[in-house]
Parts: sequence; C-alpha cells; structure tokens
Amino acid sequence: MVTYWLKTLLKYVGLTAILAVMLFPLVWMIRVAFLPSSSGSVTLTSLFASSFTFENFTYLFVTGSIGRDLFNSAFVAIVVTAGNILFCFMVAYVLARQPNVWTKLLFGSVLVVLMIPAHILIVPLYSLMTSDMMPIHDTYYALILPWLVYPIGIFLVKQYIESLPTSMEEAARIDGASELRIICQVVMPLCKPVLAVLAIQVFFTNWNSLLFPLILTSSEHLRTLPVGLSHYGSDEWAPLQHKMAGATIAVIPVLILFIILQRRIVSGITAGAVKQ
Amino acid sequence: MGFSNKELLRADWQWVGLQNYVTLFKDEHFLSALGNTFVFVVGTVPITTILALGMALLVNRKFRGRGIFRAGYFFPSITSMVVIALIFQELYRRDGYVAMLATMIGLTPPEYGFLIDKSTALYSIMAMDIWMSVGYYMLIFLAGLKSIPDELYEAARMQGASFFHQLRYITIPILRPVALFIIVINSIKSFQVFVEIYVMTGGKSDTMSMVYFVYENGVTKAFQFGYASAAAIILFAIIGVFSIMQFSILKRREPIW
Repeated sequence: MVTYWLKTLLKYVGLTAILAVMLFPLVWMIRVAFLPSSSGSVTLTSLFASSFTFENFTYLFVTGSIGRDLFNSAFVAIVVTAGNILFCFMVAYVLARQPNVWTKLLFGSVLVVLMIPAHILIVPLYSLMTSDMMPIHDTYYALILPWLVYPIGIFLVKQYIESLPTSMEEAARIDGASELRIICQVVMPLCKPVLAVLAIQVFFTNWNSLLFPLILTSSEHLRTLPVGLSHYGSDEWAPLQHKMAGATIAVIPVLILFIILQRRIVSGITAGAVKQ
Repeated sequence: MGFSNKELLRADWQWVGLQNYVTLFKDEHFLSALGNTFVFVVGTVPITTILALGMALLVNRKFRGRGIFRAGYFFPSITSMVVIALIFQELYRRDGYVAMLATMIGLTPPEYGFLIDKSTALYSIMAMDIWMSVGYYMLIFLAGLKSIPDELYEAARMQGASFFHQLRYITIPILRPVALFIIVINSIKSFQVFVEIYVMTGGKSDTMSMVYFVYENGVTKAFQFGYASAAAIILFAIIGVFSIMQFSILKRREPIW
C-alpha cells in the first residue's frame, strides 16, 4: 500500500515537473506583459514582483499599430479559411463523385502539388507578384490568393466524401432534387466533421504564418500579427514588456479557440495521421 | 528558374545550365546552410520522437487530471512560432533563466548569451524547437496507443512480463508505423526551418538554414532569383525523398495501425 502511494506521488511529481517546463515560458510571457514598462529592465526576480498594469496593452493599441495587425491577421485568416472550405469541398466533390479520365488527371496533379513544400515557392511567388503579369505584391490579394485552396484539403475532403454512402444522394435525385440542392443540402452537411477539421488547420496555419506575409507585403498597413511581432522583436530599444504584451495578444485567440475546440483540434491532428 | 541567371529588374536573362549549382557548391554560405539544416534535422527529429513517445506513455493510462496534463503538454505546439521565439530569445540571454540553470548545474554559460555564441546558437534553437513540437507528436502517439487492445497487456502480465518487456515486445512494435510517420513529417517540417532563425538570430552566429539562404539571396538582399531558385531546388530534392515516403504512408486505404 505504501509503495503504491509512493509510486502515485512520484508519478504526479514527474508529470507536474514536465508540465512546468512546458508552460513556464508562456506563464513568464503573460507575467512580463503585465509589468509596468517604466520599471526598467526585467530581471530574474520580476516574476514575483507585485506590480500589475495594463499600460503595455494600451500603449500597443494606441501608440503602436497592433490593432491594425490584429485586424489584418483575422481578416486574412478568416477569408482564407472560408475559401478553403468552399473550394476544397467543390473540387473534392467532383473528384469523388465523377470519376473519369479528366478528374483522375486533376487528382493526380493535386497529389503532385501536395508533395511540393510551400517554401519552394518563395522566389517564384515573389517574382510573379512583382512582375507585370500579376502585379499584386503588397496588397491583400498577395496574402489571400495563394492560399485559397490547400491541396491537402482537397485530399482530406475527397477521401471523406468517398467514404460516405451514395444512397442518400440517389434518394434525393429520385425525389427530383437538383444537383446543386443535393450538394448543398445532402453532401455538405454530411461533410461537417471533415470541414471543421480543415477549417481549424487552415485557420491556425494562417494565423501563425510569418514567412509569406513577410515576403509578399512590405507596407506597414498590411502587416499581419506575426510580421508585426517580429518587427518589435528585432527592435533593440523596444521594452521587453511591450514585446511580451504583443506576444500575449497573439496567443489569446489561439488559447480561446483551443479551449472551445479542443476535441476537434485533437481529432483533426490524428485524422491527418490516421486517414480512416 | 534554377537554371537561369534571372534577377530582379533584369530583362535579358538567359539559361545558364548547371552553372548555378556549381557556384552553390563552392559558396561557403550555402554549404554552411546545408550543413546546419542537416544538423537541425538529425538533432531534433530523433529526440522529439523519443520524448514524444515517453510523454505519450506517461499520460496514456487513465488517472485523475490526465486531461490537464495532456492539454498543457500539447498547447505550446499550436501557438505561433514567432511568439515562442520571442520568449526564448529572452530566456537565452546571458542573464536569462537558461543561463541561470546552467550555472546552477555547474556549467559556464556563454559570455554574451546562448544565441550570440556560435557554438551554442544553433543547439539552443534546436532545443526550443523540440520543446515546442513534442506535444504535437505526443498526441499522434496517443492515437496510436489507443488502438492497442488491453488484452495484449493482460496476457503479457499473466505471463509475468515486466513493464519494459511489455514496452519492448508489444508497444514499440505496434507503434512502429506511427513512429515512421512522425519521423517523416517531422523531417519534412524541420528541413524547412526558417521562422525561429529569422526571429532569433537573423541567420547570424552560424545558424543559416536552407530556407533562410533562399530568402536572403532571393527576395531580400540580393534578388538573385535564379541562384536562390537553384538552392530551393536542391532543398526540394532532399525533401522529395521524404514526401514520397509520406505519400506512400498516406495512400494506404486502411488505417496505418
């Protein structure tokens, strides 16, 4: 009995130690974000200071441009997510339900694109967008257009639609429903789980992405949150309290979504891996 | 583009064959980027996989508070890399917490901080990357563990198998495909390391990676589209091997475990 309790105690001590390591940097970030920036440099003992203030956040919103960054990030992420739900579903439906030579060829090309890592596109995208052919460098289009359809989304949704029984669609067709009506009222509602998974992944990817917004825009009013943060980060003179307040602002939406959607996020990650 | 000498504002570009590749393999910046990227992948992927498996085993069985531990371990991996990099930039300073810990266990931290010293900068970034992504792969391992029927363990226990025997002869063999999948996707991701290097060192102190090289030579300092594309194509070729492996795993219709 004693050894059992000892074992349990040890287990919890170990688990808590790992938890502390995993969460300490984030806790520290939030603590520093609420320290007054006038208190000078942050030292090791600041973690236990009693001072508490919102002034860093008001500074970032009033004097800084983080409100704009936040809006840009949210706007781009939401438009891209909506685009992916719509377009991936449309493409996937045709690929899954009308197998012929052309759709098979199309699916093959989707698979080829799937295998190309996005970072290969740095130079081609930049040179395309600065050329006369498609001069959208430094506009919202540059942030949105390249990501409206993720090939992995087409792949996931197509596999999902193929796993659905066709009987419901056939029943609707016999009852005289139009093709559009079948898609909107029969197939799409059935695809809700996979579309939710897709939406979450696309939203997080976009919300956190730095490289492409960094390359494809240059004006301050088009900065997304990660780009804005990396600017604050490279500013040697900006007080740490402001940087951490900015970082906290970027984490809060993720934290809220994580708490609400925890189950879906987890099943999304494993769905990508399991492919059932 | 990788086979041309195209540059920004240059109209008269032409094909130059393999010349860019010859120059690349003589360019010491590129060779160091290539080397660093390999060190990064070889260093982070195995450690992340082993730690993720260990953590998954720890929180697999039912116990009070399991959800909190799982969520806490996982949460860093869905936050933004920029945020994490900003935080660790501070932790790695010469008067930061990591330096304090190093002093406590009797090591001498680098004089100007971990990210400025050339011998520690890359490893510091690697450690951060492991810390951040381990929860994500833990979750994938957990999904794999869920599929192992309890009867297997019961049978093993009845025959007197110890915890390590069960691990060695039941858990690890069944999880092998999951581990393979994790290694492949983590390698693909790690070969493209960029954000943490951009934020934390700006490619200085011997931390230049392949993507950073492409970024710097292609679209910031030099605008040598052809040259940078050639480097990107080399990266693509390396990643291609892993992508084909990932694809063949994904394509199997039945669940991989």
